[in-house]
Amino acid sequence: MSATYKEQARHGALPETTHDELARQHFVRSFKEYLVGAIHPGLETAYEKRAKPTFEAEHQREPETMQEVGTVMKQDSHYQAWSSLLRTSQEMMWSSAQIPVERTLPSLVGNARNTPPCGSLTLDPKLMTPAYHTAVDIHCQPGGYHTEYTEDDVAQGAIYDRAVYLYAMGQMGVNNADMGDSTVAWLQSEYPDFVPEKILDMGCAVGHSTLPYASSFPDAEVHAIDVAAPMLRHAHARASAMQLPVHFSQQNAESTHYADNSFDLVVSHILLHETSSAAIKNIIGECYRVLKPGGLMLHVETPPYEGMSPFETFLFDWDSENNNEPFWRKSHQLDLDALASNAGFEKPIIKVMAPSAFQETQRSMTFQGGDFGGGGVWFIYGCQK
Amino acid sequence: MSGEGVTLKRRAKGKRPFYFSDPDVDRLLSMIMALAGELSVTRDRLDTLERVAQEKGLFSQVDIETFALDEEALSDRSARHQTLFKEVTRIISAELEGLDDTDASDYSAVVAQVENDDA
Repeated sequence: MSATYKEQARHGALPETTHDELARQHFVRSFKEYLVGAIHPGLETAYEKRAKPTFEAEHQREPETMQEVGTVMKQDSHYQAWSSLLRTSQEMMWSSAQIPVERTLPSLVGNARNTPPCGSLTLDPKLMTPAYHTAVDIHCQPGGYHTEYTEDDVAQGAIYDRAVYLYAMGQMGVNNADMGDSTVAWLQSEYPDFVPEKILDMGCAVGHSTLPYASSFPDAEVHAIDVAAPMLRHAHARASAMQLPVHFSQQNAESTHYADNSFDLVVSHILLHETSSAAIKNIIGECYRVLKPGGLMLHVETPPYEGMSPFETFLFDWDSENNNEPFWRKSHQLDLDALASNAGFEKPIIKVMAPSAFQETQRSMTFQGGDFGGGGVWFIYGCQK
Repeated sequence: MSGEGVTLKRRAKGKRPFYFSDPDVDRLLSMIMALAGELSVTRDRLDTLERVAQEKGLFSQVDIETFALDEEALSDRSARHQTLFKEVTRIISAELEGLDDTDASDYSAVVAQVENDDA
């Protein structure tokens, strides 16, 4: 699929891998590429030639909803095989990323403890991990974002960092930075005179989307929050290794410690769909509160279901039930205008598809079947205060 | 040292979906892909060996591609292939072998027999 095969950029916070550990990870990336390029396209054939006629024979009409598509597709052998393989690839991805982290964990913890001064790291051991994080392990990462196995643990962050690269099949760039890069590029094109002095990234995980803001706005003070300590420790070590100062802090985006009117720019990247109906309202409200008047809120997501065919929606919805994404379905069908206006935003709502900044690989132009990095565009939702 | 001897969880919290009418098909597929993965790891290691050998001037990939197999080597390999096929397809051939095996068709009868042969 890729015109050129670019490995993830090495940085000091990633584990050393043996030859075979790396080969195992490369197999997973290739496996995912094969599923996207060779198996996934067959789903449409199976639907058109097998599943849809079955439905039509029974109902004398086409399926009209993703649920109706599901009644026939879930019985289709090609869908079953694809789903089974995709779920397996996800499990193999995490396992292949875990193996070197488990083996080298003491040195990873040691490295993170000795992070050279760069930005800051503030942890809050008393912060409650929200139920939408602990109910199931998001994306099927065993232990989720939050599990800590040892003192000053970074395991979940180090695993996630590598898995993002494998999951995106390298299509988010060598630093997994495509969501941040694409948003910065869109921002600079749409708002050329906008130079934020203070930026907040909500739900930053390992900071892979945060760093483009630090590098593109070098005079800005960049803050990044997450609820998971192992992510933040790794994020801080990672940003320091790349010599980009970011202030990482363990906080819940629903209710932060920042004062009213603090930030010129508040962003998040695929955060909203990992939350809940109550949490998403709180988060948009919190964005409004901490933004300065005139400041911008931008949330990067995969596109809403609106406008997709029932078949496309059914496939795009796969992660809801098959990849531990319980809020995926609802979050893609929200009234985004009402969500923002109820939080106090009054200006026109931003809902745009921004082109990916990373154009080195061929794009599948589909967000379906675990190929979000290859979509070639990101959905940006936001508003100016 | 912090992190010494840690065993990471291998199962993600949340009910694991299965897709085929028999979940054992999913389990088998998962194992087959794991095997394919390990095969790929081994093949990559061979590839590395060849590249290192070439870089160190030991032998080149061309030497491998043009290596002439003599009769003995071909014969050895052929025998190894047969063993491989026999091992991989063992379950199919074993089932056929069992077709004449009428005495083991009712396993519970055998259990009953050995349990009760003191009566």
